[in-house]
Order: sequence, then structure tokens, then C-alpha cells
Amino acid sequence: MTPHTALRTRDLTQRLAEAEATIEALLSGQVDAVVDSRSMTPVLLTKAQDALRASEERYRRIVETATEGIWAVDESSQTTFVNGQMARMLGYSAEEMIGIPMPKFVGGAHRSAAEITVQKHRQGESVIEDSTLHRKDGSEIWVRVSAAPIYDSAGKYIGGLAMITDRTQHRAAEEALRRSEEQYRQIVETTSDGIIQLDHTDMIVFANHPAAEMLGYQPSEVVGKPFSLVTVPGETEASQTARQRPLGTSASWDGSLRRRDGAEVVVSMTITPIVGRDADRVGRIAVIRDVTERRKLQAQLMVSDRMASVGTMAAGVAHEINNPLAAVLANLDYIAESLVRLSSGDRAPISYAARDAWICEEIKPSLDDAREAADRVRFIVRDLKMFSRSPSEERTGPVNVKSIMESSLRMAWNEVRHRARLVKNYGHIPDVDANEARLGQVFLNLIVNAAQALPEGRAEDNEIQVSTRLDAERVIIEVRDTGAGIPAENRTRIFDAFFTTKGVGEGTGLGLAICYRIVKDIGGDLTVESEMGVGTTFRVSLPIAKAEATESVATPPVPTAGRRGRILLVDDEVMVIRALTRILSQGNEVVSTLEAKDALARCERGEQFDLILCDLMMPIMTGMELYHELLRVAPEQANRMIFVTGGAFTEKARTFLSETLREHIEKPFSSANLRAIVNRYLN
Amino acid sequence: MAKGDGKKRALHLRLYIAGNAPNSIRAVANAKAICIEHYDDDCVLEIVDMLEQPLRALEDEIIVTPTLLRLQPLPVRRVIGSLNDTGQVLLALGPK
Repeated sequence: MTPHTALRTRDLTQRLAEAEATIEALLSGQVDAVVDSRSMTPVLLTKAQDALRASEERYRRIVETATEGIWAVDESSQTTFVNGQMARMLGYSAEEMIGIPMPKFVGGAHRSAAEITVQKHRQGESVIEDSTLHRKDGSEIWVRVSAAPIYDSAGKYIGGLAMITDRTQHRAAEEALRRSEEQYRQIVETTSDGIIQLDHTDMIVFANHPAAEMLGYQPSEVVGKPFSLVTVPGETEASQTARQRPLGTSASWDGSLRRRDGAEVVVSMTITPIVGRDADRVGRIAVIRDVTERRKLQAQLMVSDRMASVGTMAAGVAHEINNPLAAVLANLDYIAESLVRLSSGDRAPISYAARDAWICEEIKPSLDDAREAADRVRFIVRDLKMFSRSPSEERTGPVNVKSIMESSLRMAWNEVRHRARLVKNYGHIPDVDANEARLGQVFLNLIVNAAQALPEGRAEDNEIQVSTRLDAERVIIEVRDTGAGIPAENRTRIFDAFFTTKGVGEGTGLGLAICYRIVKDIGGDLTVESEMGVGTTFRVSLPIAKAEATESVATPPVPTAGRRGRILLVDDEVMVIRALTRILSQGNEVVSTLEAKDALARCERGEQFDLILCDLMMPIMTGMELYHELLRVAPEQANRMIFVTGGAFTEKARTFLSETLREHIEKPFSSANLRAIVNRYLN
Repeated sequence: MAKGDGKKRALHLRLYIAGNAPNSIRAVANAKAICIEHYDDDCVLEIVDMLEQPLRALEDEIIVTPTLLRLQPLPVRRVIGSLNDTGQVLLALGPK
């Protein structure tokens, strides 16, 4: 059968019916393939359909897997489409949302803004804004809406399409960040330590209130200023050193900062470099603590430790004083008895020449012995005075190590002598820059510790060796004992405050800690070496003084004869008055009084004196008060005053002497010394 | 190929399909069911895959698949589609 014959066999109506059925089948999707009329080859419809379906599927997947919510509205803002993410965000199903106007979902505070957005859309604007949306369960979420208008092919507005991001978590993170910042700010502002942040050029970029207050500023007044505004010149060196430290390590030191009023505040400072993201040092943070009070306490503690040491030594010192004192008394008694015998005629009358010879032979040696013994008492009292100086007198200067060591040894002698032989090995050493009292405290502590490391008795078997030497521009002082040694586990802790191996009440545990502090303060070092069963050596290493010690006991040349003068003695101690009168009466007219008021009265009456020797400290009116009164009523007489002091200075007395520059003589003094000064004045 | 070629049947059908496309599979199943249920299996059902024998399809002037031709009895009739609507198919094929 050929197509032509087939054509002829069919009538038109059937062909039309067939065409109709074909179209119907096509439309209802019952057709799989059609024959392409040009190539006369079959084409599978499913392939085209699959492609279309795949394309649709792709878009659907994108829309549904988007992490953003997608929301389409028509021209009256009614919801026409939401993706699954959008529905999930609000807790609805997509179907539930279709047909509901979008503004109904917007939080009350943002509804008007949403309406403005719609207006903008109509005008063709895209909008990005933050808003809140109501969830089905009534809660609210923060979202960022990015919306754009949609137009038909004719350019008519037919609705909008919005991408919506849930910002609730973001908001929570922002809130957490804000709270964290607030928390740190509170910590920084409520701490009593000052905190200053510096940038890489040492400019202050932040200062908390305590820091500003410490320095007498408001925080805003220091921010933006260089750090040098508050540093003390010369201390910047430490600051520079801190800058060169490796990252992540802080440098701490005690120093001073300058307040706005120019005063210096003593601080303990810790500076830590801070690192930026590029691992470059972007600056430093300084934590500053005002230690003025702590320093004061520390100084007090040092003094009280020294006093405690002296107190401990009191028994020994009493012994040391009693021995020469006994010699003084015995000799004086002997002289007195001898003189009584001489005048009572117990022995046969002798010639004047014989009596003079007897005096030289019998009395003079006793007098010399008494004098020598009294001198020893004087030295001991001087040692005591050295240890009892108040902090205000603590000046640092070149001092002689050997003489301080000798004083300390005398103080500790009573502890040492029952326990060990004392071996001194003084090498020739220069002076060191230190304070006598403090260095004495260190030596005393080391000597007493050495003594206490040894058992009492059998002094010949044990040895304490004190030695000094010069080693590489440093003065080395060693105190060595032959005691049991310090166990290794204690060796690292012996310089810690309150560490003690002695029983409660026997030691404060502060001695070595304070020694360490004192030595460190003057640029020295205190170390220990110990071997069990052999002994222990404490080694103090000190820098050499920059200047030589000024000789303090310059003995003035003694003018043998002076001009005869009129001298007024003012002292509340009768014995001192009597002794001074005896010494000075040779060649002078001496007037004396026990009360400063009396002296004042005499001067007021117009009495004239060439010299007024006046005790500084007296109970009713002090020498200082007398001086000030005299300046008022008889200034010429005030300028003739020399003060006599017992040495136990008060702060006031010290200031007085340094401010008025009046000459003073320290008790005890020798008659020769006294005469020399008086004669110098009279001439 | 349908069974019983040797014996003259009252109904001779030829179904053009396109491979195993969904409508074609459905049409084959429907055609077989109709033969069995409505013609007591007393018919010849020839199935031609247009993708394998395009020339035969051309000869029969097939332009879409699935297309069912009723070759006997004459005149030749065509039913287009997946043959889901059994009533319409029976109407086209005529009574037994």
C-alpha cells in the first residue's frame, strides 16, 4: 500500500477526526514522540519535557535550598509565594502564608516602615532594611529585608520579591559583644590599678579613671598626649627596656611617675606589649599601682626589723657596755680612795715632788684606763645610734664597709662569742654607695644568722669568717659559718618574706627578706651558697661608690689659747653643766642655767654673751624655741648659739639644724674637742 | 510479535510505540488488556517500535506515537494516545 493509495482510500472527515484526536492526545500529554515533518524522523517528546522539567527543578531547588527566605508579593502586597526557608523562619507552612498581606507579618514598630517600602517599590526603588517579623508562635525575629519591585513586560508594577535573612542570632551576637565590652569596661574602670594603653609611638590612647586620678588628670586630658607627659626623665630608660622585650612577656619595675602638680608618685608598673592582627607590636599596656603607701610601710618594716634586731642584741649590748663601765667605775673609785688616803694622812707626809710623782704613777694610769673604757662605751653607743636612725635620716652616700661591719660585729658579739671563733679577713676595698644603718642591718642579720646556725658552746670548734674583697668592680662581702648548712629545698625560699625555720616567736622570717630588699635597692645582690655539714656563705655584692666618703671626723687643730670670753651654758642636765663649767672656766667667764627660759630672760635684760652653748632638746623650752625667741628679742645673741645634742634626733631637730645651719656638737665629746670649737668661735 | 499468526483472526491491530517512553508502555499494556478482556484474545496485536523501524512507521503514515492501527476489519482506523480511555478505544475498534 502506497501513501497515495492510502490517501485516496480515506475520506476527509476521518482525517479531520484523526487530526483532532492527535491534537487532543498531544494536549493531554498522551504522546511520546512525533515525526519531524522535515527530516521525517521521530523525535521523542519526553526529552524536551525532561529538559524543561529539569530546568524547573533546578530553579525550585535553588529557591528551596536558599538559606535566605524568599517572599514574593503581588501589586497589593498579598503573599503569592514563600520558599520553605521563609515559612520555617516564621513557623508557618508555605500554604498558610499565601494570600496574606506581607505587612501583617511585620512587627508593630516596623509596620509603617514596611508600608514606606511598598511605596518605594511602586516608585521603582530597591530597599535594604532591618525589621522585625512575627512568628506564628507570637515571638519576634530580627531580619534583614532586601526587596526589589517586579514589573510586567509592559513596565507595570506587579509586585515585589524580597530576600530575607534571619538576623536574630546576629543581633544576639552583637548584644553579647556589647555586653562583653561593657563588662571589660567595668572591670577596667572599677579596678584600683591604673591602666594606660600606648600606641607604637608611645602616645596614650586610653587611660582609665584610676590611672588619670593617680596622676592628677581627667582621662580625657591624657588621651592623645605622649607618655612622656607623665614619666620622670631618667626613668624612661626602664620604659625603653620594656619596649624591647619579646612579645607576650611583661616587664615590671618600681619607679616614679610625674603628677600634674609636679609631684612624683611612686608606682609599681607592669608594661606588656600588645599584638595586632598583623603580629606587629601595635602598642603596650601599662598597669600602674600607686605604691607610695606600700613603700612607707616597707620603710617602717625595715626600721622595726632593725629595732627588733637591736632589741635582740640589747642583752649583749648591755654586757658590752657593762664591762668598760665597770672599768670606768672601778678606776674612778680607786682614784677617789687614793685621793682620800693622800689627804687623810694614812701614809707618811710626803713632799710635793713626791706627791706629783705619785699622781703620775698611781692616778694617771687609772685615769687613762677609765678614759679608754669610757671611749669604748662611746663607740658602742655610737653603734646603737647607727642602727636606730629614723627613715628620714636614711641618706645614701659613700660609706666605709669595714667600719659598718665592725659596728655590726660589736652589736652581735654577744651572740657570736659563745658559738664561734671570729675570723676577719678584710681586703682593701673602696667605699660603696649605701646607707649606714641599712647596710649595718644587713650585716647584723647575716652575722646573727651565722651565729644561730652554730650550737652554743665549743666556740673553738666553729668559725664565723667575715671577709671583704674587690671582684670585678664590685665589693664582695662574705659571712661564712661552719654550721650544718641549709637544705636545698629551703635554699630557694630563704629570701621569701615570712619564711623561717625557727619556732614561733623566735624569728619573724623577715630578716633575710629585708636584707635582700635593702641590697637590691642599692643595686647590689645577695646570694647564698650552702653545703650540708660544711657550712653556709652569704655573699653581698655591691657596686663601688661613685664618690669617696667625705671624712666626717676631721679633727680641728687645737688652738691652745683663746680669747677670754663670756659663755652661757644652757642644759637641763646638771652633770653636763658642771663638767662643761670646769672645762671652759679656764680662761673664760662661764654663766650657766638649767632652763632655756632663764637664758631668754637674761638676754632680754640685755646681758651679752660671746657664746651660748645650748642643749637642743630640753623639756620646758627647747634650744630650738630659745633660738627663735632670741631671733626676735636679741638677734645678735641668737647668732652666738652653738647647739649640743645627745644624738637622738627628732625629725624636727634635724630639719632645724639643716635649715638654720647652726653649728652643733655631739655628746659625748672630749674636752679638747670642745675647747677647740669654743676657741674658734671666740676668736 | 502477537501470537497465532497462522490462524485468520477477526481483529488485526498494529500498535506503534516509541521505545519505552511512558505513554508507549501504558499503551502496550492497555492494548493487551483490551484484547484479552473484550475480544477473548481473538485478535492479532502487532507492536512496532517506531524508533527501531522508522520506515514502517513512514509507510503507515504515523506522525505521533503511540498510535494504534486497526488493520482488519477494514477500513483502517487509528487511535492516538495511551489508550487509557477504554470506552473510546472500544468505540473505535468496533464490536467483536
